[in-house]
Amino acid sequence: MLADADARFGAEDVQVRCLTDSAGILRRGDRPRVEAAMERITRRFPQVFVAIYTGSLGEVANIRQFGFWLLNRSAFEDVPLQMPNAAGILLTIDPESKAAGMVFGYLLDPFLEEADTFECLSRAHAYWLEGRYADGIVRVLAHLDGILCKRSRQARRDPEYFERKVLPPAQVGDLLRRIRSGHRASAEEKTMEVAP
Amino acid sequence: MVPFAGAAVLEEPAFPVWKDGEFSGLQSSGWVAGSVLLTDEPIPDEFGAPKSETIQIEQPKPEEVAQDLAVSPEIPEEFLPAYFAERPKSFLIDPQRLLSSSDYRDRLSFLNYHASDSSIDLFVYVIGGDQEIPSAVREEETIERFFSAGRPAAIVFYYLGAPQRSAVYLSPSITDAVSAAEQRRALESSVIQAFEKNRAPEQLEKFLVQMSIRVYWMERMLAGESTARNTSPPLVPRVAASRRVAEDAVRVHGLADMARELAIPAGVLFAAVTIAMVFSAWMRSRARYFFPEFEVEGRLGGAHAAGVGAVISFASAAVPPASQRDQVPDYLRRA
Repeated sequence: MLADADARFGAEDVQVRCLTDSAGILRRGDRPRVEAAMERITRRFPQVFVAIYTGSLGEVANIRQFGFWLLNRSAFEDVPLQMPNAAGILLTIDPESKAAGMVFGYLLDPFLEEADTFECLSRAHAYWLEGRYADGIVRVLAHLDGILCKRSRQARRDPEYFERKVLPPAQVGDLLRRIRSGHRASAEEKTMEVAP
Repeated sequence: MVPFAGAAVLEEPAFPVWKDGEFSGLQSSGWVAGSVLLTDEPIPDEFGAPKSETIQIEQPKPEEVAQDLAVSPEIPEEFLPAYFAERPKSFLIDPQRLLSSSDYRDRLSFLNYHASDSSIDLFVYVIGGDQEIPSAVREEETIERFFSAGRPAAIVFYYLGAPQRSAVYLSPSITDAVSAAEQRRALESSVIQAFEKNRAPEQLEKFLVQMSIRVYWMERMLAGESTARNTSPPLVPRVAASRRVAEDAVRVHGLADMARELAIPAGVLFAAVTIAMVFSAWMRSRARYFFPEFEVEGRLGGAHAAGVGAVISFASAAVPPASQRDQVPDYLRRA
């Protein structure tokens, strides 16, 4: 719950930049590369932005909660006001506990799975093991680019499929009822046709 | 004619003469031995046939005599500058276009290949089989004038369709090193090879292959290896091997020519494919992707996002990503 996270990290909104290297893991010359990769995502997917936060967060479990909290509580200075945090993808790296997490806003909720973000993070594992954080981030974003391309094309072909994934349970129940009633109606019609 | 014959030899001994009454005595006996030979009278015809008449041979007509006296046509004057005005810029000189374009190209390719492989260039002047080089042109003087400088060269005046009329000259720098006999042998063997074929262009091809081999030997002589020639293995197998190499070279050149002909279309095709790929990649890079926006019910009290996404640990290489899947507790998954 956000309230639990607020209790741990604070209930106030925080102002950060999209690329916040609090842990100082990016070497000189790394920042332009990472920013270029972030900008590429925004250029190709104009509804979406990427934010990266590095910092020491303590336990691995904290990184899960921190990502969720930061994406809900942060005000990104260098993101246009009309673009809500729901369109964001946040990559959090804790070099102390050697863990990284990726969360995304509601805009991408129908299109991305946790497995997708895990695949993205997996691409960086080898680099981060060696302390090559920037290389790992670039690989993560490159893989994310490919997944988003694919999902965008799929959504254009079959938007209903993705819409059904985010329908509230009640509406899903309505949908099921409509489908079942349709089946029953057709079955009754068939019975009428068979019985003289 | 025996030059050392003396005047004494020219004096014939006197014939014996009959003594008085000796001949008439023998005649009375009925037969005189050797009387047929030892007489000044003409030998009687053995079969008594009438004396043969003089064979009448028709004399040639005046126009036939005139035709026989006419010399072969000279190379047309308009082509003389192209032949003899300067040192040729190409190894194959055929200003009269006696060879077809494809034959010319093939032969020239071979000569170019020869030049790239040999220290002695081979220049070939192609002349009509019935043509003559004008008397005003002196081949030796021409060769000395044009080929004194530069790389050593063998110059062949080849009469198309009449390879036996061909002549070979060497540039002055190598004339002394290669004997006249060797030059003659080179020419003869090349002519023999040429006559294995009937068509004039094929004759030229065979001629040049053999001449190229012979030039190779001349090159060896220049390198001072001629002295070892007598102790070297028999010539025939080596010449055969060299000929095989030369024929292989001709085949390779055929393939190279074909490759050259296909180079432009292949290059155009390659460029078109490359441009298409670059354009496609450029278009892909410029492509914009959008997502339909659905109304998503908020969860976990989050106004912008819910769930924790994926987490990965890179603390140890012994814990690969594959073993970290499905770490998200069920209670955090979307219902």
